[in-house]
Amino acid sequence: MFGAADRHVVFRQIARIAALVLAAGLACAFLVRYAPGTMVDERELDRRLSEESIRELRSKKAQNSDVWANLRHYLGGLTRGDLGYSQSNNAPIAALIADRAPETLRELAIGLTGGWLLGLALAIPKRGWGFSALAGLLLSLPIAVIAYLCLLEGAGSYLVLVIVLAPRIFRFARNLLVQAYSALHIEMARARGVTEAKILMAHVLPAITPQLLALAAASVTMAIGATIPIEAICDVPGLGRLAWNAAMARDLPLLVNLTMLVAVATTVTMAVSEKVSPR
Amino acid sequence: MKALAIGFLIAIVLAALAPLPTRYDRQFRDSPNARPSRQFPLGTDDLGRDRLSRLIYGTRVSLLLASAAALLSCVTAAALGGVAGLAGGIADEVIVGVADLFLSLPWLFLLLMVRACLPLNVSPTISVAITFLLLGALGWAAPARVVRAAVRKFNNADFMLQARATGCPTSKLLWRHLMPNAMPILWAQLWITIPAYVLAETTLGMLGLGVMEPLPSWGNLLRELEGGGIAGHPWLLAPALLLAAVVGSFQAIFEREDYSV
Repeated sequence: MFGAADRHVVFRQIARIAALVLAAGLACAFLVRYAPGTMVDERELDRRLSEESIRELRSKKAQNSDVWANLRHYLGGLTRGDLGYSQSNNAPIAALIADRAPETLRELAIGLTGGWLLGLALAIPKRGWGFSALAGLLLSLPIAVIAYLCLLEGAGSYLVLVIVLAPRIFRFARNLLVQAYSALHIEMARARGVTEAKILMAHVLPAITPQLLALAAASVTMAIGATIPIEAICDVPGLGRLAWNAAMARDLPLLVNLTMLVAVATTVTMAVSEKVSPR
Repeated sequence: MKALAIGFLIAIVLAALAPLPTRYDRQFRDSPNARPSRQFPLGTDDLGRDRLSRLIYGTRVSLLLASAAALLSCVTAAALGGVAGLAGGIADEVIVGVADLFLSLPWLFLLLMVRACLPLNVSPTISVAITFLLLGALGWAAPARVVRAAVRKFNNADFMLQARATGCPTSKLLWRHLMPNAMPILWAQLWITIPAYVLAETTLGMLGLGVMEPLPSWGNLLRELEGGGIAGHPWLLAPALLLAAVVGSFQAIFEREDYSV
């Protein structure tokens, strides 16, 4: 059952995740606030604006420049479900994220499922060096190049993510399987005439499941990271592209929200992985 | 296989250091977009610049930049990981906490966010410096955790206890006992980090955030793929093939296990 010690561990884990996520958001806010050119507004160069309008622009900019005040305001808004307003997109951030998240979630779901199925399917049977060489080639290319090549062939962003993830899963799973198959009890099982399917299901897979679960968490982080170049190059209206545009436009509120969202996704996945497969 | 990979890398480094056929930024205005010929083995780009010269110079820039940034990361990781492992207590918790903060975001996300906050319209030399510092400063967290774990293990090992028991001074403990044992781990981290940084620099360059024109690097050379037309111009893939061969060679020599992107 769920004892006091377990509750303490879970509470500590949640506190650690919350601290990490807040620190990530704060670091992002400071980074953007003190980035060169942040306080410059090119609208001030517009000669049609009156002195009063320019003063108003400067005062709005000055209001946004206090990171701590913004953080307090943001956390207050967060409790009411208000994530702030994106100046570069001229829309509420919650609506922007809600609008873009389904596309990215679909991409991640298909990419992760496809990548895992393909990676494991190629790793499980004892194949020749061809797949290892292909995986090596794909691991040696940047994601942006793979995305360009897939785009030129008319493949969608889902397929790019599958192609990016599958070789990583294949290589890792193949190494685990080679180690698991070299165990003495597997030799013994073969000598006693146990079928290969039973050896795989009863002896090999249970032995490597903890490592595969750890890889599952790592693959989610990999997939999230890969969505930015993939969506930027394949022009997919998802969160990766939103993050890219926010970074280029230095949209502080949007960037902080996206950084915290990504930090939550990554740290929660890692915490769950550590819980189910303690190393 | 490893010997072949090492030989290939040495050959690539020597080739990258060889004199260029022409200057990388010299424009042959009467022959833009030329097909491969005896004068231009990889053709010329839109501005009439020799692609082979740019590829050789770009290889030099990318390899040097990635190696220097990897060295910076590993030195930082050795210092911080060493302090965390040896000192323990609050120093350990602070360093591990900051490392966790860096690792709580995917590597590419972190890299793109920080790079986008720095000036974008800069001279090519400054863009090289920014990319180098960015990779070097952001990539220390994972190696630092490995170094910390190793230092903690060595710190409690029998040979260290014996050295302490015989009254060995701290400086001698560090330089004569700890460092020689930690060096193979640092070399391994350096070797793993270089190809990761080559790939990161290429991705940044392809997204327009890496080394700026007219200075070539693998990243901005591969931006030519944007225009499409590989079917009619397969030589455009030369930088991608060279990049894959170099990164593949690094990975053949020392296989990575996390393959993070």
